[in-house]
Amino acid sequence: MENEIFNKEILEKLQELKIKPRARWHFLLKNYAIWVSGVFALLIGAAAVSVMIYLGSYNDFAIRQDINKSFGEMLLLTLPYFWLIFLGLFIFIVYYNLKHTKTGYRYSIGLIITVAVITSIFLGGIFYAAGLGQELDEVLGQKAPLYGEMINPRVDFWSNPEEGRLIGVIVDQIGDEEFVLIDKDQQEWLVKIKGDDFVIPPQAGGPLRLIGEKKSDNIFEVFKVMPMMPGRGFFKRMNGGPHPPVPGNPRMLERIEVNY
Amino acid sequence: MIENIDFEKKTDEELVAIVLENQGVFSYLVNRYKDKLLRYIRRISNVGLEEAEDMLQNIFIKVYLNLNDFDDSLKFSSWIYRIAHNEVIDNYRKRKARPQLLDIDIQESQIRELAGETDLFEEVARQELKQEISQALSQIDLKYQEMIILKYLEEKDYQEISDIIKKPLGTVASRMNKAKAELKKFLNANHKL
Repeated sequence: MENEIFNKEILEKLQELKIKPRARWHFLLKNYAIWVSGVFALLIGAAAVSVMIYLGSYNDFAIRQDINKSFGEMLLLTLPYFWLIFLGLFIFIVYYNLKHTKTGYRYSIGLIITVAVITSIFLGGIFYAAGLGQELDEVLGQKAPLYGEMINPRVDFWSNPEEGRLIGVIVDQIGDEEFVLIDKDQQEWLVKIKGDDFVIPPQAGGPLRLIGEKKSDNIFEVFKVMPMMPGRGFFKRMNGGPHPPVPGNPRMLERIEVNY
Repeated sequence: MIENIDFEKKTDEELVAIVLENQGVFSYLVNRYKDKLLRYIRRISNVGLEEAEDMLQNIFIKVYLNLNDFDDSLKFSSWIYRIAHNEVIDNYRKRKARPQLLDIDIQESQIRELAGETDLFEEVARQELKQEISQALSQIDLKYQEMIILKYLEEKDYQEISDIIKKPLGTVASRMNKAKAELKKFLNANHKL
């Protein structure tokens, strides 16, 4: 190949096609976009970690004997699968973005993922301390579809009166030993207090978890009452609607004021 | 009028800065890399001269188009080889067929080094060895073939290979070991036939 001819052809082609070097800002913008979306994905992953820490800080291992579950069963029931998958997805996005930065190819997948996970945990801890984990759980509890089924399965886990677990909001106090509770399906329950093993005294307002025994379709005998923290936002979405009345008691749903 | 002597003394990186202001100086960069890249293209893809020259032209157009993307985080030679590598891979995908037998331009010193690395039989005549290496290289996977070509024929170090194929150093090292093992396996198998 003749040098001069080839060089001439190249230069002629550049001129003929009016090719100019792409502007530097084009590459800088692309690089910044990759970095910004990578950092954004990292922050979202960290937010997922903050929710996981929040959920983990209210685990039910201490009361597993009251609800007849082994350690392994409790672990399987309470692992935050949704958030783990969510975190995995955003760690992958961080990895993908970092690999597409100018020098990202120099780092191994193991190193990138380890650093991304450690950073997510570190930032997630800070976010949790700042209250983001609880805030996110409450907002999602109020608005997210499939919250009880996927995002926080504890809502469903605790909504099982057949197995002695019930969650809901107290809407009326009837004397010292009875109160009325609306569960997550907006069904009213007459709850009768048995024994004095209360972690907190029942009072109208915030959602509660009850351990006891279902006595009939609308009567629940309770021997332990605990506050509900993860999932409490779910009960803020309650509004009036058809529901079976508590036998012998007037319909009370119209009096619900979920305010906590 | 451009004085040859001035530009020929410039480093690649200095030339890039000048080319961005003066398109005509691009021919100095073309001159520096044209033969090396043409040889690399033919070594790795075994296309005919005409097709290799077309690929080379595309490579230089892409180099010019993306000059502003080059920075000193890597050597210019690694950057331009990376563009060539991508062009060869693109071409390979378009053709969807591997070359049947590479006709590789290997120098005596390179044969000696490769023979040493792969414990090749010394009794084999040099010319025969060259043919056997070409044949064995044609048989191994493209990603291993490229490792051998970049390391022993293009004489790139691990960092340069990492920058050209955009893989971490650890991956380059493990691929190189695997490439040598594969080459040795096929050389031995072919030699026994």
